[in-house]
Amino acid sequence: MTAVISASHLSKYYGNVLGLNDVSLEIEAGITGFLGPNGAGKSTFMKLATGQMKPNIGTVTIRGRRTWNSPAIFRSIGFCPEADAFYEDMTGFEFLAGLLRFYGFSGKEIGERAARALDIVELAKDKDRLIRGYSRGMRQRVKFAQAIAHDPEILILDEPLSGLDPLGKRKLIKLIKGFKDEGRTILVSSHVLPEIEALTSRVILIHQGKVLAEGDVPYIRDLIEAHPHMISIRSSDPRALAARFVGDPSVLKMTFGPDGRTIVVETRKRDDIFGRLAPVVLEAGIEVDEISSPDDNLGAVFEYLVGK
Amino acid sequence: MTIGAAVREVFGLFFGLGRRMGRTRTFALLGLFPTAMAVAARIIMRGRTGDLAAVSTEILMVFFLQFYIVILALFYGTSVTAEEVENKTLSYLLTRPVPKPAMVLGKFAAYAALMFAMVAVGLGISFFILNAARMGDPALYAAFFRYLGVLGLGILAYTAFFAFLGTILKRAIILGLVFGFGWETIIQYFPGSTQRFSIVHYLKSLLPYRPGSGGGRGVALLLFRLEPTSPALAVLALLGITAAFLALACAIFRAKEYLTED
Repeated sequence: MTAVISASHLSKYYGNVLGLNDVSLEIEAGITGFLGPNGAGKSTFMKLATGQMKPNIGTVTIRGRRTWNSPAIFRSIGFCPEADAFYEDMTGFEFLAGLLRFYGFSGKEIGERAARALDIVELAKDKDRLIRGYSRGMRQRVKFAQAIAHDPEILILDEPLSGLDPLGKRKLIKLIKGFKDEGRTILVSSHVLPEIEALTSRVILIHQGKVLAEGDVPYIRDLIEAHPHMISIRSSDPRALAARFVGDPSVLKMTFGPDGRTIVVETRKRDDIFGRLAPVVLEAGIEVDEISSPDDNLGAVFEYLVGK
Repeated sequence: MTIGAAVREVFGLFFGLGRRMGRTRTFALLGLFPTAMAVAARIIMRGRTGDLAAVSTEILMVFFLQFYIVILALFYGTSVTAEEVENKTLSYLLTRPVPKPAMVLGKFAAYAALMFAMVAVGLGISFFILNAARMGDPALYAAFFRYLGVLGLGILAYTAFFAFLGTILKRAIILGLVFGFGWETIIQYFPGSTQRFSIVHYLKSLLPYRPGSGGGRGVALLLFRLEPTSPALAVLALLGITAAFLALACAIFRAKEYLTED
């Protein structure tokens, strides 16, 4: 696949403060999640990628073109900024129509596109209300609407789910996935792990201006083989099961869950534990209800990488 | 999109937005203050015309020339870029297929048009109230349009200068105040060519009466210590100031990156 967004040795400094440090990455079509805590460098990367800032070192390109002072490329880019900032004295419709003027559409088409985008984010009813009167969720949605109104091929969304209620989040996630199905390229940032997980398995972990890892979740797990894994086993007789594993050199630590039926095994050799589990339960006649790996959630991977 | 078309679209967006800004309402009301002055002057004059009307008109022009257009240009001019940075709305403009200079030029034009409208309404009402007795005199209309033209050129020059300040400084308004009400107020009374380093000097040089020509009436407040530049040169100087500072503002806005507080 060809990279849509490419960064090569990209660095950005704010005076003495490091915003982004030697970041090289390639983003292809589909959804890519940009994950990291606040101040990690996600917004800096997005601002560089959308030509709002100039790199100190390195380059960032979209479809092979540098983004700084290249207005023509913005025909195919939709950007949803993180900041809760608007022209407050405009209605939602005027806001979208005003920004759509810059694409050379006819007046009729501007109206149609603005109405369609507001309809997609379920703001059609409130299109004639001033933005200053919108709720936080509505403001977030109108911000998303301005990013999609001109039908861009590439969407760069900085924390688009923040401020939305759970239902709103679910709807927007569905919408973003819909754009992916249309073959678009979407870069989404978030500092909330489940949000990124719900959107994509292709993740770039960023922290202190550096890319810590990139790939899908299993790939990231492979990268951190040294990270102790947790295996949770809920069974009919957790103590008997624990007795069988207590002498196993692969086991680093074992704890009992609060429900009294679960043991959580911490190990660096997950495959060894799984390999031994089946014969042990068969031999001891223990009924296993559930085996899960709590840290398969991206959260554990992220915390580990950040703490490393 | 060509730069001309882009300027037109930016103008359309910000002229509409500017009209409904709270700031515009406040300044429009301020622009009507001379109307109250004019009504008061008419009552005091009680039918007398001539010099008293001329003096009142001159006081009116002091307000418009040395206060109103300066304060308007200061707030609207510096906000051409600074308000986008402060309000964090710059992202919406920078991620559109529009050349950056078009944003500066379009917004400048939109705000200049708004300011001109406010000045025209305020000056028009108060001027014709004061000179109601001469409504049949064609010279009155010529004088009015000359005043209005001078103020229009003042709006362009001051706004371009303050727009330039807004592109380079974070707190441009403070330096703008020092320039508009410090430098401009003091330097215009310096003798010799020093006064040519102020914008107001060229504006005053265009006023419809000249010192020593017999045309100066009343206390000639505006002509005090004026060593005028010829009208043609004054117009050229004002247009040159406008063009130069607009070009600088566009070049800086294109080259500079603006960081918001987040």
